[in-house]
Amino acid sequence: MTHPRSKRLLEYLFTVAVIVTLNFALPRVMPGGPFLYLSADQDQEVAQFSAAQQDYYRRQYGLDRPLVQQYAAYITALVRGDLGYSIYYNQGVTAVLVDRLPWTLLLVTAAVVLSTLAGCLLGSISTAFRGRALDRWLYPALIAVSEIPAFLLGLLLLFTLAAGWQLFPLSGAMTHFAVYASPWDRLADIARHAALPVLTLAIVRTGGLYLLARNSTATVLTRDYLRTARAKGLHPLRILTRHTLRNAMLPIVTRVFLSLGGLVGGAILVENVFAYPGLGHLMREAVLVHDYPMIQGIFLLVTLSVLTANYLADRVYGRLDPRIRETPAEAR
Amino acid sequence: MTALSIAYGSRRWRFRLTGTLSTGGQIGLIFLMTLLLLAAAAPLVCPHSPQKTSGPALAPPGAEHWMGTDDLGVDVWAQVCFGARVSLVVGMGTALLAGLGGALAGILAGYRGGWVDGVLMRLIDILLVLPDLPVMIVLAAFFGPSVWTIIGVLSAFAWVFTARIVRARVLSLKQRRFIQAAETYGAGTFYLIRRHFLPEIFPLVTVSMIRLAGRAIVAEAGLSFLGLGDPTSRSWGFILHHALSFPGIYYTAFWKWWLLFPWLALTLVVLALALIGKDLEKVADPRMRSH
Amino acid sequence: MLSVKHLSIVYDRVRPAVPAAMDISLSLAPGESLGIIGESGCGKTTLALGLMGLLREADIQGQVCFQGRDLNTLAPARRRRYQWRHMAMVFQNSLEVFNPVISLGEQLAEPLRTHLGMDRQAARRRVSAMLELTGLDPVWQDSYAHQLSGGMRQRALIAMALGCSPDLLIVDEPTTSLDPESRTAILNLIETLKREMGFALILISHNLPAVQQLTTRLMTLYAGRVVETGMTADILRNPLHPYTRGLINAAPDFFPYKDLWGIPGAPPRPGGTTGCAFAPRCCQSDDRCRQSLPPLTHVGVERQVACHKGGIETVLQAVGLSKTYRSGRRTIQALAGVSLSVRRGEVAALVGPSGSGKSTLAHILVSVLAADAGEIRFRGRTIVNHDATAAMGGIQIVFQDPAEAVSHRFSVLEAVREPLDILGWQDRSRRDAKAAAALAAMHLPTGPDFLGRTCHALSGGQRQRVAIARALVTDPALLVADEITAMLDPSTQAVILRELKAQQQARGFSMLFITHDIHLARKTADRVYVLEGGRLAAQGAVFEILAANDDNRTHPLPRVAMENE
Repeated sequence: MTHPRSKRLLEYLFTVAVIVTLNFALPRVMPGGPFLYLSADQDQEVAQFSAAQQDYYRRQYGLDRPLVQQYAAYITALVRGDLGYSIYYNQGVTAVLVDRLPWTLLLVTAAVVLSTLAGCLLGSISTAFRGRALDRWLYPALIAVSEIPAFLLGLLLLFTLAAGWQLFPLSGAMTHFAVYASPWDRLADIARHAALPVLTLAIVRTGGLYLLARNSTATVLTRDYLRTARAKGLHPLRILTRHTLRNAMLPIVTRVFLSLGGLVGGAILVENVFAYPGLGHLMREAVLVHDYPMIQGIFLLVTLSVLTANYLADRVYGRLDPRIRETPAEAR
Repeated sequence: MTALSIAYGSRRWRFRLTGTLSTGGQIGLIFLMTLLLLAAAAPLVCPHSPQKTSGPALAPPGAEHWMGTDDLGVDVWAQVCFGARVSLVVGMGTALLAGLGGALAGILAGYRGGWVDGVLMRLIDILLVLPDLPVMIVLAAFFGPSVWTIIGVLSAFAWVFTARIVRARVLSLKQRRFIQAAETYGAGTFYLIRRHFLPEIFPLVTVSMIRLAGRAIVAEAGLSFLGLGDPTSRSWGFILHHALSFPGIYYTAFWKWWLLFPWLALTLVVLALALIGKDLEKVADPRMRSH
Repeated sequence: MLSVKHLSIVYDRVRPAVPAAMDISLSLAPGESLGIIGESGCGKTTLALGLMGLLREADIQGQVCFQGRDLNTLAPARRRRYQWRHMAMVFQNSLEVFNPVISLGEQLAEPLRTHLGMDRQAARRRVSAMLELTGLDPVWQDSYAHQLSGGMRQRALIAMALGCSPDLLIVDEPTTSLDPESRTAILNLIETLKREMGFALILISHNLPAVQQLTTRLMTLYAGRVVETGMTADILRNPLHPYTRGLINAAPDFFPYKDLWGIPGAPPRPGGTTGCAFAPRCCQSDDRCRQSLPPLTHVGVERQVACHKGGIETVLQAVGLSKTYRSGRRTIQALAGVSLSVRRGEVAALVGPSGSGKSTLAHILVSVLAADAGEIRFRGRTIVNHDATAAMGGIQIVFQDPAEAVSHRFSVLEAVREPLDILGWQDRSRRDAKAAAALAAMHLPTGPDFLGRTCHALSGGQRQRVAIARALVTDPALLVADEITAMLDPSTQAVILRELKAQQQARGFSMLFITHDIHLARKTADRVYVLEGGRLAAQGAVFEILAANDDNRTHPLPRVAMENE
């Protein structure tokens, strides 16, 4: 292969192609075909279609044409951003996604920022107090927290903080039919609704990042180059920022990006715990009503986002660590 | 004890209750064993049926119904005990399938190298970046949910973790002189796998399988919680789903037994597995702290 | 400039606490150079890090006075001003000695900007100059540590250490993991820079040629304590502490021809012993050594050694030995005032052509012949009659002709047991056992079949082994080996000499090895006496005498000889 970086990109493009093809193939290989349950009914009472109706829809969606043609049409539509039409929502899938995406982005971004800050902070504290009482308590506590699945923690918070003490709203992203006196009130309302889902996701992720940060700073502290830096009589602040954090950050940055996949899974469940109108909530609805174009659309969006995050992680890491820049991917 | 002392190549890797496990790990192990017994003996320990109405609706915990009843008057204790079967089957099934499959793939990729390794690694890379829950939801949506689909899908994704660790270990083992020496004596692939790789890899795979079991139980619970699980199996996640569908759940005290007990069961299982996993991890390989 | 008094460093954050350096004192004047040697783990690097103030997880006692200030009492911020500005260190080379994610230029510039207040441009110019000074292209300052080879990284480390023109430079193992060529280059570079910049140098190394080239004074550390100090040249030529001698004898650079024999055993945990830490590995230790710690005491103006015996004991001292043979009217002066000494645990070779008086000397030493004049002292006491040879732990001799040495009528067992029988040592069964053990030590069979065989039935090589076993059976402190292999074929000679050397290494006795074969002497001996016409023509360490004597070698030490450590 040529340049390692372009090789890496090629690998990612290959993965994209696999996902896109998988997405194309799924409804076509599912048992009974996609129209067996095609239905606009809510809840799980699904009306089955007659053979004639199924044939009609099959023609309507072009499923009677040769596979190659179907594939080409599918790719062309994708490139134009057309993900199909949702019967249940009576809208283009893309439009619905664009409507719901910001809420999920809000949750995920806030959770990433919060958990990263908290994890790094607690990790550094633990390293500084290594072996002392604070570290001895923090460590097992955060390990335990990191193991509890997000939706279980969400349920706990929901029933204690929201249902029990009524500190937070039970569901939704905004109060229904509210009239806001100012944009600030609106923001505050959004924040109040997002607080619990964000907190849930953030707490669950903090444990892992805490462990990583604790490990990483502790490892860096034993490195020869830190002894060199101290020998040079540099100011402790410079040693901390330029020499210690710079190196300790490397694995954390990678982890933040790479764990986005898991975070998306957590977000889907947590959104459903709090009935938060993001992609996860949408996905469950779509599955329950067998809105296949919608399911496919969400799946594509989510997987491609995670893939992009992974690619960015690769690039950022290369930027931060000169050792990676010239070494081929295989050597890692 | 029994479950763990079946260790392969017991000379080096005999996991003893007291020797290897910390206090936390021992508590976790005892909890899991108790749960296993309860699940196996569910019909004996549950006076009521997990399916049929056996008392007044939404009765709080009492002498007759230790964990109360749900909205249909079904005993929650029975539901928890029978639900444990689903969780344990999913956990153990996935762990076995993915653990063994992953180990095999890892050994194959690491030992054979070449195109086998290339193909497997590419596959692992792809599976690693795919977020598993959305994929499972999609597959459950398209193929219909059942416990066996869930085990299959979970295994299809989970084997990569084991495979990656095992491959790395095999790669480093391959460089060791005693393997090279055995090869110069004319040892075949099968011999090497049996006499050298498996004993070295066994502890890694054990730890990996414990982690996989935890992930699988959580994933199944999540799917069922969303209402996308196997509707015929009344797992813990399904109880949660059912309870949350009850309109008044947020405004009444019913959640304090209906929701709390399955919630506790799930959380405790996950924690127990994590405690055991952490202990064994330290023994098996201090480097595999990551996934 | 630097004066360290009673410095003790204990790593007390681990259980049990590890005392890594104990009661170390040293002083260094501006421009002076000090080498510190010792096996791995003896506390060399700990001492250096302690001087630099880099040990956080340790309890440090004692004074480190630098330019008139006790550094250990300074606040961290004040102490930092000395670090690198006045006292810099070239760390042991490793991939991670530089920060992997910061460019070399920035890392070299850091101390310049911190201590000298240079701005970015000035620092960059200075870094370029320093890199050029150490033989690196300044373009390297924009690259990272992993892009440099080991030798280049060593140069960059030196450039970084010398950036602020420090008064004291501590260099830790500058030549490990370098090939011989780069090794020479780095040593020459440090030598040149030291001459030009005039800094004082502390060199930590187990590479003795490096120490010899760069330092004027030397200090040997063992298990965290100083066991010997003195001028580098003196110590290398004439080590006083058995440990220092062991280090030198194990250095292939000094003994290119001799077989490699390390110091038997391994260093103990520092602080794990009550007496002298070296006692278990020492050839001359006794109860006192195991019970009390020997203090470091002066044995010369510049020389200190920590040993209850005042350094390596002299086993045998012969002063002014003369011998004249008379045959009829002719007199032949076989020895004319020869003095020699053999020290504990050493192999001294006595070489010289036939008729130079070697055998006469040997026979006088073991009281076979009486000297006309002179005195022989064995372990400090003048020998009277046969008292040195007729004792356990005394002097024994093995003669040249094996057929003559052992009575052909004796059985093997009787021959070997004979000295014990004569001395009346313990009872019969113990004597038999001891004799059998001595035979086994010389790789002879010990079955009844062999033990009962009469000596005349043995081959020459076997007989000589029996003779050696007979000498070893009394556990001698000194073995005089008089041309013991002269009558054997080369292969048998090689086998027997190796076995004898192995016994010497294991039991720690001294040996006077008499031979006319210079090559054999080079292979076996630490020191050498050259006898010519009944007089001593030369004496000294093997690497001084025999290397210079024999084949036009002008420099005693081939410097670029060895592979990587």
